[in-house]
Amino acid sequence: MPKKIVIFILSLCWMTVMVQAAFKKEDIKVFQLDNGLKIILYEDHKMPNISYYTFFKVGSRCERPGLTGVSHFIEHMMFNGTSQFGPGEFDRLMEFSGGANNAYTGDDFTAYTDWFPAKALEKMVELEADRMQGLLFDPQVLESERGVVASERRLSVENNNEAILYENVRATAIMAHPYHWDVIGWMSDILGWRPAEIKQYYKTYYAPNNAILVVVGDFETSKLLELLKKHYGPIPAQSPPPPVVTVEPPQLGRKEVVIRKEAQTPSFLVVYHGPACSNSDYFALSILEKPLLQGESSRLYRRLVREEQLAISVYGGLEDKIDPYLFMIEVKPRPGADLGRIEKIIDEELSKIVKEGLTETEYEKALNIIRSGFYSGLQTNSGKANMLGAMEILYGSYDRLFTLVDSYLAIKRQDIPAIAGKYFNELNKTAGYLIPEGGQK
Amino acid sequence: MRRILTIMTTLLLAGSVAVVSAERLPRPEKITLDNGLIVYYYQNSELPLVSFRLLIKGAGSAFEPEGLDGLANFTADMLLNGTRTMTAEEISEALDFMGARLSFTSTEEYATGGGDCLSQFLPRLLKIAADCLSSPAFKEDEYKKELSRKIDSLKAVKDNPGQALRQYFKKAYFGQHPFGHIPLGTDSSLGKMTVAELKRFHSVRYRPDTAVMAIVGDIKRAELIKILKETVGQWPKPKTPASVTNLPPLPSPAGPKLVLVDKPDATQAYFALGSPGFAQNDRMAVVASIMNTLWGGRFTSWLNTELRIKRGLTYGASSGFQSWQTGGLFMASSYTKNEKIGEMLDITFDLLKKARSQGFSPQEIESAKNYIVGQFPQSLETNSSKASAYLRLIYYGLGFDYYDRYLGEIEAARPEAIKQAAIKLLPEKNYTLVVVGKASEIKTILDKFGRWEEKKITDPDF
Repeated sequence: MPKKIVIFILSLCWMTVMVQAAFKKEDIKVFQLDNGLKIILYEDHKMPNISYYTFFKVGSRCERPGLTGVSHFIEHMMFNGTSQFGPGEFDRLMEFSGGANNAYTGDDFTAYTDWFPAKALEKMVELEADRMQGLLFDPQVLESERGVVASERRLSVENNNEAILYENVRATAIMAHPYHWDVIGWMSDILGWRPAEIKQYYKTYYAPNNAILVVVGDFETSKLLELLKKHYGPIPAQSPPPPVVTVEPPQLGRKEVVIRKEAQTPSFLVVYHGPACSNSDYFALSILEKPLLQGESSRLYRRLVREEQLAISVYGGLEDKIDPYLFMIEVKPRPGADLGRIEKIIDEELSKIVKEGLTETEYEKALNIIRSGFYSGLQTNSGKANMLGAMEILYGSYDRLFTLVDSYLAIKRQDIPAIAGKYFNELNKTAGYLIPEGGQK
Repeated sequence: MRRILTIMTTLLLAGSVAVVSAERLPRPEKITLDNGLIVYYYQNSELPLVSFRLLIKGAGSAFEPEGLDGLANFTADMLLNGTRTMTAEEISEALDFMGARLSFTSTEEYATGGGDCLSQFLPRLLKIAADCLSSPAFKEDEYKKELSRKIDSLKAVKDNPGQALRQYFKKAYFGQHPFGHIPLGTDSSLGKMTVAELKRFHSVRYRPDTAVMAIVGDIKRAELIKILKETVGQWPKPKTPASVTNLPPLPSPAGPKLVLVDKPDATQAYFALGSPGFAQNDRMAVVASIMNTLWGGRFTSWLNTELRIKRGLTYGASSGFQSWQTGGLFMASSYTKNEKIGEMLDITFDLLKKARSQGFSPQEIESAKNYIVGQFPQSLETNSSKASAYLRLIYYGLGFDYYDRYLGEIEAARPEAIKQAAIKLLPEKNYTLVVVGKASEIKTILDKFGRWEEKKITDPDF
């Protein structure tokens, strides 16, 4: 689900200098096939395994009412058979070759992530190329998978109070843009997608000209490239998908969501409209979020959890997305805590940042957190593949990974109050309260 | 997200195997400090990062006095809440400033610590870790804050059926055995907890001579030794001998034990089915791993195929083994819409029976072997996973060549032995089955499985 991806990508930030130590831009080889498929390769022979990541520029951002959740559904159907390999064959053949995989769908893109021993490479290229165009959509299998996704929604949203609140707040804060709905989609849409629409959606978005392939690990670049040409070359390009044109109108006043339901503990969430990741303000907010709410030394943790003891935990921040999304502050309140008081404290702490900005130490701390998270993500082949692909989609080029540092360093400590002021104000805010049935607000 | 990772499977599979050259896990160097602390070290300078992991024998939840569930974890949690030289705020400030992670927690058998940081900060991180281990302050006000957070967290756990299920299962399966202690604590145990108990547990159980540490990353040997001497090397060794860390054998269910936990707002029913497994050093681990991979350990396993892929009953279904020094546990679990729980359990029992009676085909077995071997290298890819592997192999006495031997045995395993593992390890009549769900909708469906002990989620404890 999207939240997890975000945490990972958020940690991408900074650190050109050190990236060059072991993982250099010059060692990354990039190709594009005639059908538009972009290929990014990084050879690394430290172990006999390969991470093979396929990204499609499709996510819930591309959906419309009635088809919400369909991007994620196709992610599921990608494992359910093509004309060449029947339902379940992908997984059976992949696991037989020693491979494993996962996949995730976000608001902006969908990723298919495979890890396997080097000797399984040719089989995996064949399987991945095959499902880029040949999905079967067997009616019985489709209906069964619809049940799986409905179950996933019940598990991840309907049986999870934080998720219920998140979905409601998000849909209240974002009125017009497709970020209005969560990646999982509305239950009635899940139960109602028509097979013909699903197939058309797949045809449009699962095309080589809408995909990026990133391979990291134990292979020889020239040999792999030949394999890729052989298997992906014949796949025809499709007409480019329609652009997402809706722009979220400015919010005109504070919004509030109040949910009353059976629960032992309340939930609380407040969001502000934030910038797209291509906007330089993104980097400023991404710096300030660290001393604001990351870790036990953060301002909000100190006040809400330690000093006033109103909460069990605090987390959130900005997610990097193609279009403007939300800066989120999620608090797990203690039972019986005054939620209005929590909101007031958050207001106070944000006003302080708008007025006074960060201390020198806090600024330095933010950059250390960014560096540390960045390297941790680079430890594995899969981490490298994921970052390169996400950069290519979110920032327009994989090599943005090696210049992101400049974007962070361009933000001076003194710039932060003014930038914070543009976003953290009452008009731009949506607060969400989940109150245990019978409880007091 | 398409898959749900199962904690239990990874515990075993993380201990699986690898490929190519003889050595799957690079051999660490052993360094013994004057206070008895043993440190295993391996240099990896690919990135400017270092990770360490620490294991303290006998400081796990199984060594808590009866009725004080959660004491071991509580003690571990308090280490970061202030020491003789630093307040809780100073510790969190220092850690956050470095962008470093430091944590302490406990399993059933031992307490663990772990730290990850940019290499430049290692001296400072180890200094803080040493301070936390050797001189936690256990201040009354910090204790009270932590206590009330824990009481609140218990309520949050009961709002989450999946999390609640694990606690109820632990109690139902292990009963009075010390492995039945709930690491989060219970309403009753937290009511009885005192700061004096925490101090006692720490002073008796946290000792450098019962601890072992592993450090992997971008740090040179000479520099590391100097840092170790100045930090964890200063952790004083008590004059008294270390206390006994033997545990009674794990219980074996005799007949079915069924527990139904009523959660009236649940729209899905969650089940966990458990039976005896095997100890860490049991050679059965090899065939059991192949058997479990096929039965419920991976995406195309029988269990997930029948419950998810074919019928769409659930988002995920899996099984796994967890092993300790004295024994182990097999557990299968999944969840579905309330009205489908009976169908789900019927299929699960049928698949257990089928594996015991038929075993697996040669092609399936080949696939499982390829899968275990092919996935292994990644399980040791990071600094922290290497450090954790060193500690596991040391603690269970498996030897650093364990993975090399294990891989060889995986490849050599014979179909008949795998069928025998199914017969021995997949439960027929002796098991514990716990279901969390809306009793008013599922009770009548469940009646055919036997007599259920009923609990309400709103009642105290688990």
